[in-house]
Amino acid sequence: MTTSQAAVGDLALRHLDAAYSLGRWLLGNEHDAADAVHDAFLRAARSADSYAGGNGRAWWLAIVRNCCLAKLAVRGKDRRNIAIDQVTTAQGQDAADALLAHSDVEEPESHVDDAQRRSRVARYLQDLPAEFRETLILREIEELSYREIADVLQTPIGTVMSRLARGRAMLQRALNPTYPEETKRGL
Amino acid sequence: MDCNAARELLPFYFDDELDRATSRNLETHLDGCADCAATLIELDALRRTLREHAPRYAAPQALRERLQSLLPKPLAAQPRRMPRRWLAIAASWLLAFAIGGATVALLRPQGAHDEDQLARDLFSSHWRALAATSPVDVISTDRHTVKPWFAGKVAQAPVVQDFAEQGFALLGGRIDYVGSERIAVLAYRHGQHLIDVFVLPQTNAAAIGRHVQRLGYSIDPVSLGGQPAACVSDMDEAERSRFAGLLGEARQ
Repeated sequence: MTTSQAAVGDLALRHLDAAYSLGRWLLGNEHDAADAVHDAFLRAARSADSYAGGNGRAWWLAIVRNCCLAKLAVRGKDRRNIAIDQVTTAQGQDAADALLAHSDVEEPESHVDDAQRRSRVARYLQDLPAEFRETLILREIEELSYREIADVLQTPIGTVMSRLARGRAMLQRALNPTYPEETKRGL
Repeated sequence: MDCNAARELLPFYFDDELDRATSRNLETHLDGCADCAATLIELDALRRTLREHAPRYAAPQALRERLQSLLPKPLAAQPRRMPRRWLAIAASWLLAFAIGGATVALLRPQGAHDEDQLARDLFSSHWRALAATSPVDVISTDRHTVKPWFAGKVAQAPVVQDFAEQGFALLGGRIDYVGSERIAVLAYRHGQHLIDVFVLPQTNAAAIGRHVQRLGYSIDPVSLGGQPAACVSDMDEAERSRFAGLLGEARQ
């Protein structure tokens, strides 16, 4: 390993939890997540010399995400697992509406205990179209800035903003059926 | 700002992506608009729900170890690539440059290291004070405000005396760290110069035995009414020795 590879390795290990968590949410299981992160680690080390500085965490998470997408493409069995790039926003919206339609019949909030609630939240998040899910995870859980998220997803920052707004609205509606229908907010 | 504008900006405000002026405008609107404030609270509730119930997964230890093993071993475990003698010479040069006194460094490497560390701490504290809005935490009106302020904050309360009449006005005091020790710092002003007097613990007192200069600033070992101390400033030599004389005669 060269010096730059060692530096990239350190960077990756420092943000290993973030990487694994992203992989876990994108791929849905531990084994694939660990595999994808391992692949990403090797890929990052190989392209260490091309890393031009800048935000290291975003660079590393972008590689992790690409490795996850590659895994998803291979898997490609059901609709939810289509590579994110192939899901247009319109399709994503249909999928979300179909999924979220069930939420109206859920028990009222006060009757569910903590464990149920936990699995419910995780399920709703898992059921969101991947493009919204990953944006929400990076913002709300990994606490990345819009710019960093745009770097990880390799999309314009405006797309990050609109996905975040849509994703939040969908999730809010799923968690709370009385939440008003999504209003157009110009995003 | 009306509600429509506020609604558009809310997510950016919530995500810390809004500039300060716009944030302030929005806050003014939020103060008077319960609906928009409620939207903000909903955003916050969603975030808290996610952080609580959709936790971040921690990487399995096995994965971490597997990746760690791909990295090169820590330096200490690697075979030396350079001849030892060359290393020793390079190291002594570095040391010599660092303190600006080559002879001392070569003769007393351990002492020189302590001195270097202490000098670095003192200089950086002084430079931080210069860059800060105020170089002191407690402002002096007379020595009776400064001395009691230190009580209980540091092991050794300093001798405090104002030399305003002699041209060195006491500004006040602050606490800083030297190594891991909290020490008292007195700040004086002389013309345009800011002067910091660091009260040194006995353990460190011996480390600064002489004048050290860096980037136009100097450290001089002084006695603060009998207490070992170090004076940091950018004054010229005559002023420094005059001030050192005053400090030496300081009395409670």
